Formats: sequence, C-alpha cells, structure tokens
Amino acid sequence: MSIQVVLGSIFSAIFLASIIRISTPLILPALGGLISDLSGAPNIALEGMMLAGALAGVLVSSYTHSVWLGLLAGMLAGLLISMLLAYFHLILKTDPILAGVAINILCSGGTIFVLYVLTGDKGNSSTLMSGALPNVQIPFIKDIPLIGTIVSGHNILTYAAFLLSWLVSVLLYKTSFGTHLRAAGENSLAASTAGINVVRTRVIALGISGILAGLGGINMSMGYLTIFQRDMTAGRGFIALAAVFLGGRTPMGTLLAAVFFGSADALSNMLGSLKIPPQLVQIIPYVATIVALVVYNIRRQAQIISQARKFQEKHMM
Amino acid sequence: MKRIFRSNSKKEVLRILMAVFAALLIGFVITLFFSKDPIGAYVSFLTGPVTKLNRFGDWIQESITLALLGLAFTLVFKAEIFSLGAEGQMVVGALVSGVVALFVPLPSYFLIPLALIAGSLAGFLLGIIPGYLKAYLKANEIVSSLMLNTIAIKIYEYILTNFLKAPSGGYMASVYFPPEGTLSSFFPNIPFLANIRNIWVDQTTITTLIYVVVIAVFVVAYLMYRTPFGYELRMLGANIKFARYGGTDVKRATMLVTAVSGIFAGLAGAHLSMGVHARLLLNITAGLGFEGVVVALLARNNPLAVPITALAYGYMRAGADIMERSSDVSREMVVVIQAIIILLITAERMFPEVRRRVKTRRSKAAVKPTPKSRS
Repeated sequence: MSIQVVLGSIFSAIFLASIIRISTPLILPALGGLISDLSGAPNIALEGMMLAGALAGVLVSSYTHSVWLGLLAGMLAGLLISMLLAYFHLILKTDPILAGVAINILCSGGTIFVLYVLTGDKGNSSTLMSGALPNVQIPFIKDIPLIGTIVSGHNILTYAAFLLSWLVSVLLYKTSFGTHLRAAGENSLAASTAGINVVRTRVIALGISGILAGLGGINMSMGYLTIFQRDMTAGRGFIALAAVFLGGRTPMGTLLAAVFFGSADALSNMLGSLKIPPQLVQIIPYVATIVALVVYNIRRQAQIISQARKFQEKHMM
Repeated sequence: MKRIFRSNSKKEVLRILMAVFAALLIGFVITLFFSKDPIGAYVSFLTGPVTKLNRFGDWIQESITLALLGLAFTLVFKAEIFSLGAEGQMVVGALVSGVVALFVPLPSYFLIPLALIAGSLAGFLLGIIPGYLKAYLKANEIVSSLMLNTIAIKIYEYILTNFLKAPSGGYMASVYFPPEGTLSSFFPNIPFLANIRNIWVDQTTITTLIYVVVIAVFVVAYLMYRTPFGYELRMLGANIKFARYGGTDVKRATMLVTAVSGIFAGLAGAHLSMGVHARLLLNITAGLGFEGVVVALLARNNPLAVPITALAYGYMRAGADIMERSSDVSREMVVVIQAIIILLITAERMFPEVRRRVKTRRSKAAVKPTPKSRS
C-alpha cells in the first residue's frame, strides 16, 4: 500500500512542482559554470560563491529590511568572489582547480566566521530576521487545475532561472561577445590572434558565473529556506558542475541535466517519508550524479568512435 | 635521496615561508577588526600548543593524521590528478578499522595490525573508483570524488546509527573499543623507564601510529622516486602525452595512483577511530579531509617534507582550537588562513621579486669562476 502511495505522489502535481523548486539552486550555478567553462576558465568555486551569496543576502536583507537589497548584495558577493578567482587564475596564473578549492575553503570558513562575529552562533542565522523573496502567482494559469499547481506559485528566482537559461543561450550563440567567449575557450591562441582579448573575456565570463552562483545561493537562503545555515549548499555547486558536463556544455542540456539532478533530490525527499533509512535515501542525488556522468561519457565515446568511422568510410574507402 | 632534497630549492622554501607569513599577517588584520582583544587572541593562537603538555600531545596527534592525509594528496597531486576523495576514504578507513577493532577477538599485537591493514585496504578500494572512472570513462575526478565523499559519509552514518550505536545514551557513537583494539601510547612500557612515562608521556595521547607515519613517509618517497610506479606517476604529472608515448599504461597508472593514495587516507581514518577517539562517532573526520591539501601543497608534493609541513599546519590548527577557547575569535579564522596559504603558494606570479633576486644571485655565482679559470 505504501508503495502505491509513493507512486501516486510521484506522479502528482505537487511532486512535479517540488522538482521545479528544488532544481532552481542547481540551474542557476550550473548556468554560471557553463559560461565560465565555455570561456576556458573552469570554475570549481561555484560552491563557495553560492555560500557567499547566500550569507550576504541574508545579512543585508536583515539589516536593511529590504529583500531586493539582499538580492543585490548576494549577486555582488558572488561577483566579488569570482573576481578573486579571476585575479588569481588569470593574472597570477594560479592553477584554476587549486584556486577553486582554496576559494571554496575560504568561503566555507569565512561565512561561518562572519556569522559567528555577527550573531554569536556558528550554526545558522535564525536570530536574524531575514527576508524572503516573493513567490509569484501567475494570473489565469494559477486557476487551471493541474498546470496551475505545477507552474504557478514558485519563487521569483525559479522563473528567473528558466528565463536566464534562455538569456544565456542567446548570449552565447547570438551575440558577438558569446562568439568571442566560445572562441577563447575553444582555442585561446587562435582567439587572441584574431584580436580577442582572451583574459578580459574570461574575467567577464567568471564574473557572470559568480553572479549566477550568487543567485543560486540566495535562492537557498531567501527562497528555499529563509535562513542561512553553515555549509547549506551541501555540494550543490559540484552537482551543478556535473550538470554542465552532463548537459554537453549547452544551455538547454545543462538546464535539463540540472532538472534531472533536482528530480533525484526531490525523489529522495519524497522517499524520506517511507520507512527507508534517511541516509540511504539522501545518497540518491550523489549516486545519480556519478551514474549520469559515466553514462554520458560512455555515450560520448561511442559517438566519437562512430563519427570517426563515418569519416573513414567517407574519405578513405 | 640527496637529489630529492635539492629539488626543493632555497627559492621554493623562501616562497612558501613568505606565503605562510603573509597569510598569518592577513589573519592578524582580520582579528584586529573583529576581536576585543586581538593581541591576546593571536598570542594564544601562536603559542597555545606548547604551553601545556596535553596540548602538545594534541598537536602531535593532529599532525599524525595530517601527515597521512598529506601523503595521500602528495601522491595524486604529483600525478596532476585532482582527486579530492581523501575525506571519504578516511571515513571508510575509520569505519572498517573500527569494526575490526570492535568485533575481532584477537590479542592486540595481531588485532592492531589487522585493523590498520583493513582500514587502509578500505581506503585503497574506495580510491580505485575515481581513478577508474577518470581513466576508463573519462569522468571528471573532482566531481566523482566529491560525490563519493558524501556517499561514504552517508553510508558511515547509516551503519553507525543502525548497527554500531551504543545502547546507552543519546549521543551518536559506538561503545569504546576494547583495549586490545586501541592504539597504545608510543612510549614502550618498560619498567626502568616507568618514571619518565608517568611524568611526561601519560599526559599526552600520542600513539604508536607515529612510527607508522615515519615509515609511511619513507615508503611514499621510495615509491615515488625509486620504483617504476613512481616514475609513471611523475610522468603522468609532468607530461601525460609523453608518458603515453613512452609506453606508460596511463589508464592503469591513473587508477593505481588514486588507489594507493587511498591507503594513506584510510590509515588516517584508522588513526582517528583507534587512536584519537577510541570509538566511532558521528562526524568523526570533522572536515579534516581537505586539510591534507594544504599540507601537500606546503610540502610542494615532496613526501619527505610532509612531516614538517604537517607539524607546522597541525600547530596552526591546534593553536586555533586554543584561541577559540580562550578568546572571542572563532577557529574558522584558521580555515581562512589556510585558504589564503593555498592561494599564495599556488600563485605562479606571486612574489616574483624573490625569484628574480635568487636567480640573479645564482647567475652571478655562475659567472664569477669563469675569469678565474681563464687566468
């Protein structure tokens, strides 16, 4: 009977709505990771940027009583951290992966440090009265029985995430900056020969990815929850990174991959109500990430081999 | 061995010292802003670990774990494989060695080696996975190893809370290990030294694993510089295309490197469960897994330098604990310092002044003898 209940609830509108809600803090940093990865500057520090954004949003919204200033502060925090990464990676020629690891450590420790200084608590910001970004009820659609439950009533950042996926694809494929960015990532030598300032392009790409990761963090602390908790991103920055690879480094693919990981997470929340040990259920998104990464790479290798074979047949036979 | 030391040249040591000094300075500036008594806080941070004998013991204990983790990271970093799976490997190492120590009824001189081997084997087996995924399936090792960390921690929590939890008390921990399964003090129990033992050693909790660490350091150095495996490992890091061209089985080597690295992370876990805590408890690693990164980087991936950097970094961590207890500055400040150290050390163009000066001095020294030889 309980399995019927679960199956019934998996295909319910509320569950589909929860997938959309849970996917948001993955979509936003994943888009950021995509942009910086395409520009040739891998951003391992998405996790740290999310944490910085999450804390900055909570702090500013609680002290200014304005959620919009909090939103702005979170984006700025993400931008600031990404500029730190850009400075070390692009100007001081630090290895991007080690610099990313360092910045993640910096943000994990730094956010706890700041939280402790300001609230005297190392665990969460429950003593601060921080705001939440509003949920949006879409007129007309919200009255349609099923679709209304799924599509309407989400946090404003959820809609922003889907809109931004479209905007990112426009930026990457329809603007000259996007072409320059992809050229810098594809072959930086050729790009700089063609007169593209590779370093500047990558700085901007990292900046955008920092803002997007900051938005993802704000979504965690001012939408998904309304407090900051230590290390509240719980590896989402890295799952977002996996979504970039899984999505074949395209905006739509990344979006779908992020929603896939979001579904795994939502499923683990749903199964939590059963009598399965919670730890085993919580593993699901992480296992799904590894499996998806492997499946994607097997498929891509097969693709490459078949392409090579086609090429041989065409030109050498 | 001499050549190994020479590679870690004066220039590098100077650079690293400057990076550490600069990071400590930045930490002090941060303290100035946030503390009511910044000087007191920093003094307790910098001198804390040597003010009391038990604190000294804690420092050495922590350094043992850090040195093992540093060795684990040295191996993968030298091969330019960014597997960050030490945290997960440490957790399974703690779990497996702990289970052996708890349930296998053997006298201690059989049980302890058995538990240590079991723990390092667990780390080895878990370490295979990211290497295999990277080598054969081209899965990004950073993502896969980080995901594995979380999976390992969750499985550890599951087993601990469902099968090993002590019946009494609400605290999530197993019962204490029997004395046969606990690492004993590093100081031998010899009658005519009993006096020294009573006065000095019993106040500290330094275990016999300190000898294992010393052996491990030389084993890793030998592996890295004197064996075909080590040659392949260094080739992977230096130039992977050349390694492949030279006949190295790159896939096999990649897998072996992450697996062998797991041995030492597993041992570190065994040290936590059988030495430091003498039981299994929730969140046993307390995020130590990543601290090995800074130990390996400070040592410039040279295993022979790892004990020194582990002691230095362990000192900072122990000092931070004492600072947190005796002042209003939280221990996370040392995490910030750690991040700054990593950034400063890995920044190629940081401290170019030092490099240039050393270079000119050396070129002068090289030029000098020529006129003499002419005359």
